[in-house]
Amino acid sequence: MHDASIPRRNLLFRIVSEIPGVTYGVVFLAILFSIIRPRFMSVNNMLLIARHSSVLLVASIGMTMVILVSQIDLSVGSVMSLSGVVAAYAIRNGMDLVPAMALGIVCGLVTGALNGVMVAVFKFDYWIATFGTMGIGAGMALVVANGETLAVGSAGFGWIGNGRIGRIYILTYLAVIFLTVMWFVLKKTRFGYNIYSIGGSEQAARLSGLNVVRNRIYVYMCSGFFSAVAGLMLASMGNSASPIAGADYSFDVIAAVIIGGTSFDGGRGGLFGTVMGTLLVRILASGLNLMNILPTWQKAIIGIVIVAILVADVLGEKRKRRRDMMRRYRDG
Amino acid sequence: MTSDNAILKMTGITKRFPGTLALHNVGFDVREGEVVVLLGENGAGKSTLVKIISGVYTRDEGEIIFNGEPVDFEGVQQAQQAGISIIHQELNLLPERTIAQNIFVGREPTIPWLPGVIDYRKMVTDSKAILADLGVDLAPDALVKDLSIAQQQMVEVVKALSNRTKLLIMDEPTSSLTKREIDKLFEIIERFKRNKTSIIYISHRMDEIKIVGDRAVIMRDGEYIDTLDVKAMSMDEAVSKMVGRTITRLYERHYNQPGEEVFVTRNLTGIRFRNVNINVRAGEIVSLAGLVGAGRTEVAKAVFGYDPILSGSFELFGQTIKSPSPDRCVRLGMAFLPEDRKAEGVILKMPVKENLVSACLSKLFPNGIINSAIERRHSERFRRELKIVTPSVDKLVGELSGGNQQKVVVGKWLSTDCRFFIFDEPTRGIDVGAKAEIYHLLDALAAKGAAILMISSELNEVVGLSDRVYVMREGDVVKEFPRLELSQEAIISFAIAKEDDRNA
Repeated sequence: MHDASIPRRNLLFRIVSEIPGVTYGVVFLAILFSIIRPRFMSVNNMLLIARHSSVLLVASIGMTMVILVSQIDLSVGSVMSLSGVVAAYAIRNGMDLVPAMALGIVCGLVTGALNGVMVAVFKFDYWIATFGTMGIGAGMALVVANGETLAVGSAGFGWIGNGRIGRIYILTYLAVIFLTVMWFVLKKTRFGYNIYSIGGSEQAARLSGLNVVRNRIYVYMCSGFFSAVAGLMLASMGNSASPIAGADYSFDVIAAVIIGGTSFDGGRGGLFGTVMGTLLVRILASGLNLMNILPTWQKAIIGIVIVAILVADVLGEKRKRRRDMMRRYRDG
Repeated sequence: MTSDNAILKMTGITKRFPGTLALHNVGFDVREGEVVVLLGENGAGKSTLVKIISGVYTRDEGEIIFNGEPVDFEGVQQAQQAGISIIHQELNLLPERTIAQNIFVGREPTIPWLPGVIDYRKMVTDSKAILADLGVDLAPDALVKDLSIAQQQMVEVVKALSNRTKLLIMDEPTSSLTKREIDKLFEIIERFKRNKTSIIYISHRMDEIKIVGDRAVIMRDGEYIDTLDVKAMSMDEAVSKMVGRTITRLYERHYNQPGEEVFVTRNLTGIRFRNVNINVRAGEIVSLAGLVGAGRTEVAKAVFGYDPILSGSFELFGQTIKSPSPDRCVRLGMAFLPEDRKAEGVILKMPVKENLVSACLSKLFPNGIINSAIERRHSERFRRELKIVTPSVDKLVGELSGGNQQKVVVGKWLSTDCRFFIFDEPTRGIDVGAKAEIYHLLDALAAKGAAILMISSELNEVVGLSDRVYVMREGDVVKEFPRLELSQEAIISFAIAKEDDRNA
């Protein structure tokens, strides 16, 4: 019963080992692109990448939490569209900016609560439940917008999407604030602990007296909230809301979280990885842009990167598990 | 047997699960500061009972009085708050989290002026204090996944003890601890007794029971049988009460001269078992007996290619095999009938006839096209031969009783040309009538020259059916019994660890 059998983990080793592998990919890509296209490293391009990452980052916060409890939320993209369209519709019909945006966020919270109740209380399969709300959300967005893109034409709304403080875009500040708050919540609060516990072993969490149902509902509500915020941010960039604006985002959001190392097994990963995953996706897009590779190809390339990362992850994990298992039973 | 200083009084506890009566009218007391040992065979209802006490399950009938008040816990948290902690048989830890985080799951200390924000430093200091107090040499910020199973088990113990506990339930807490850690645990238990904490202790190890126990409550088939004074009771007395039931003529064997060796293992070593040397001859029924977790099922799974073989090999119909796979084993003529037949043995959502032909499709339909007339004729034949009770072979297997499902599994493998069968708990969850039919089937199979390896926790069927029995304990084959020397008591005494041959 001595510590000798436990791998020594000093602080430096711990910090290094907790850096998700994707971080090295981000560094590698950044260096690669700046060699091929020196313009990549320019301050302006960095600021643009940061701005373009902001919406994706905010949307990925909720998804990170959902995947941490080893489930998924397919409705993210639809909620983004819906909240943008609802806010735009409200503003066009004379509502003030702040209540209109709040209305958009309420749409997200309601969808999230609906997802959470279906999954946690009624034990519906989370793929099917959130697939359903994905359809409802997308449909509602089309109904509200009457199938058209709604121009907002509000100076305040446009400022959120395009304004800057110093040289940095407002959107980037927003993303950084949300990320910092939620990083703290996940790492330092009881709610965050509960998420990691439920994801690590739902049975262990339940037998320890955790309220699994309530926490799962909160997680889905967070996902709805951040999807709605991201939808508003996305609409503010063009000062207009399209009912299909969020459609592409479901793919990018799940990709960013998975590339960032948050595992579907649950309980492993976190927001730092998601930031890196998002940056990887966006840097890849930006670099491919600078190299004049067509946007249509970009999606395919990102898809290939995801598959490659997954394969490497699965193979590595399998080897590790087998080794661990044998080590344990031999000296157990 | 009521007493004034009882902290827990139970009367008439009854619990039904679909199809089974898990507990029937169970009642006994636990006094302050005493260790009550729960004794019983696998399936006697011990685990169900302690899960009811600790709020995991709710009871259907009966009354529980804890600390002088009737209680009706809804969920673990309420039981915890009342002062009841449980260490479950299986580990319930979060591998990716630290020891401190695991100790405090669900009741982490928070910073007083910042609601909801966790005071990790306090968590680590508190854990360090608890660990040191209990004399466990582990760092609170080590990740649980880096610990050995024994160390993880200690964390589980510490987690339960860190609660302000009045009643601690331990369900086989020592099953993966080494001698030294067990001694440590006993010291801790002694200290808790002095602090007036009561303990319900489940274990199969008689030597342990003698050391820690004050009174022993014996259960059998979901019922309360008797309470014995541990210091005064003899092991034989306890065992005979545990096994108890009078053995009817369930078993009929037509022993015949065994044929050639069909299956031989050579120093087979895998996860949870080592250096296993056993053999089965044609026409024999050979049993692997032992406690749950002794490594019996693991041997079968490794042989069939489910789990890795770490070293050694086995011979199947004269072929030496080092890295088996299920399809190769089946091709050579081996069939594995798993314990969890609903998940692994049959497809519940398919009709009886499709299940019956599923293992011999290429034999019945050589050109690859299903001929429904042949399918029907084939499945009707097995329905008749095995007396599968179903209105029609078109009925879904999931709608049959457990015994008839098991017959479908047997029929499925009989359709193939297999001549070596491994049965893992063939009668688990089956009522007595169907059991007799399964036994009859096993006998008939052996009489036709098939070789059978049976894994069973039901000692009476092991004794009643086997030509030979190997007893496993903690991964080793510790004894081989020929038929004439078989008795339940003898098997149990080898299956349960003894003090002198347990070394860390």
